[in-house]
Amino acid sequence: MVRQSTGLLFVLPALVVLAMLIAYPVFYTGLLSVTDQQGAFVGTNNFAAVLGARATPQAFWNTLWWVGGSIVFQVILGVATAVLLNQNFPGRGIVRSVTLIPWVIPGIVAATTWAWMFHTEFGIINYMMTAPGLIEAPIGWLSNRDTVLPVMIAINVWKLFPFVAIMVLAGLQSIPNDLYEAARVDGANFWHEVWHIMLPQVRPVIVAVTLLLVIWGLNSITIIYAITRGGPANLTLITPIQIFRLAFESFQFNQAAALSVIFFAVTIVVVFIYIRYLASSPAEAK
Amino acid sequence: MGAVTIRDVRKNYGSVAVIHGVSIDIADGEFVILVGPSGCGKSTLLRMIAGLEAISGGEIDIGGRVVNNLHPKERDIAMVFQSYALYPHMTVEQNMGFSLKLGKVSKEETRKRVTAAAQILGLEPYLQRYPRNLSGGQRQRVAMGRAIVRDPQVFLFDEPLSNLDAKLRVQMRSEIKALHQRLKTTTVYVTHDQIEAMTMADKIVVMHDGIVEQIGTPLELYDRPENMFVAGFIGSPAMNFLPGRIDQGAFVADDGTRIPLNPLPPAAEGARVTLGIRPEHFRLDPEGIAAKVVTIEPTGSETQVSAQLAGQDIVGVFRERLSTAPGADLRVSLDLNAVHLFDAATGKRLVA
Repeated sequence: MVRQSTGLLFVLPALVVLAMLIAYPVFYTGLLSVTDQQGAFVGTNNFAAVLGARATPQAFWNTLWWVGGSIVFQVILGVATAVLLNQNFPGRGIVRSVTLIPWVIPGIVAATTWAWMFHTEFGIINYMMTAPGLIEAPIGWLSNRDTVLPVMIAINVWKLFPFVAIMVLAGLQSIPNDLYEAARVDGANFWHEVWHIMLPQVRPVIVAVTLLLVIWGLNSITIIYAITRGGPANLTLITPIQIFRLAFESFQFNQAAALSVIFFAVTIVVVFIYIRYLASSPAEAK
Repeated sequence: MGAVTIRDVRKNYGSVAVIHGVSIDIADGEFVILVGPSGCGKSTLLRMIAGLEAISGGEIDIGGRVVNNLHPKERDIAMVFQSYALYPHMTVEQNMGFSLKLGKVSKEETRKRVTAAAQILGLEPYLQRYPRNLSGGQRQRVAMGRAIVRDPQVFLFDEPLSNLDAKLRVQMRSEIKALHQRLKTTTVYVTHDQIEAMTMADKIVVMHDGIVEQIGTPLELYDRPENMFVAGFIGSPAMNFLPGRIDQGAFVADDGTRIPLNPLPPAAEGARVTLGIRPEHFRLDPEGIAAKVVTIEPTGSETQVSAQLAGQDIVGVFRERLSTAPGADLRVSLDLNAVHLFDAATGKRLVA
């Protein structure tokens, strides 16, 4: 089998780079998760420690809310924006560009700005709501247990819905005009066109974008960490932040590695289920 | 029921006028074909009937109702698009039933009408397929099926056969014609192919540069074209034109070739005219005019000859098998009953 080994030689450089950049960190994380700080094998002790911690289940539920809430609104708002931007109106080009701004702004800048705007005493949001008498007293957006996670989700939605909008808009623009005209002759009004023509035609785009949003949501640290660092009282603590803080604030690298391994497994299952049941469903036409 | 009246309809895009006042009367059940070269406004006119383009001036009346300001869905029309415009994410059955679904027709009724249409078009085995799994001809039929289930007052066809190969086109031509004879629905059909127009239409509307050049049955247009444009557009190969003048009851071509006319021309003595003669109206005649053969194209059933006659390039079609060669002289005469005379300045037919 000389031929096969020659082929292997050709892909070797790429394999080496991949191995160093991906396989090695993954493997080393696995190794860290079953050893202690001195490097001695400790079995599942680290896993037991992180699973026993009170913050872990809370972070898990927070992550679920965070990802789920973000995606639902990002997709709904993004698709609605795309449909709107796909209509003909004067100044459409400018509006399209402006829509992109939240996505273009660096996450840390956006997070800090929003933190100021949500500030209880000096924030513009409380000012705008108290001045006309919408609410009587300022709300502690970032300290109230009922508002802090929704506020984080809102900021995340604001940050990423333009991405959804632009991707879906690109999909919408590839729909041949004939289809709309055929639908119009068939008796469709605007909402019929949205429901029966636009959405089915951009479904592959929405599926792909949603998968990206899931992955990004599961990995995102910037917004929450910059504003609340997971607080108050772990109300906005999501698993990636828990891992980050375990490793780089408490220096529990082994427990952080164990939590990473668990998180990695859960993520893979979620993504797998998603691809299996949504991305590849009906045998329909492109 | 389904008569269509078009009265002085105009279309402007900004200050550019593309249709300059078109009037056409289409009787209920008639098969009318709008034909003309690219850019003549025929598709625009069809889209105005459909309601996909705004009407800049004039009136369109469908079934006794002025539809200028009605949406396409309120006009009771069905349209077959050049690209077929089938919904890719719907099965054939869903494609055909879509308009009924939007019209809130019951499920059983929809199923009944879709099945009936599928039967007419031979689409029953394909009802559960998606458009991408169909051949071009089958997609074409689905597009027609979508129109049939509507049972509209008017069918509109926008160059429906131009994406098919030549053989399938001929087959679909007769299928559409048979369908029309069966359903008797008023049909407006746009094409740039004059053979399609000649073979299918009850009535042909020849359009050119946004105006109607002539309206008539296929044979009227063939036998008595009102002007040089219609004469040159209808018929294949196209009519030959010889410029010249009238001189003592005869036509004298610019190079002096004299062709006696019978009956006498209505034009004044000495007037500039253009003589039109169709390729099939040349006869081999040892006494006739000399024509220098340029090329010979035998098709088996007939022979097509390009030649120089009276200083002009002409094409003749002969039933005989010719034993001549390029460069040789061929003597031909003209079938004088089939000669057309046109005013050289206006291009209008000079009526005998």
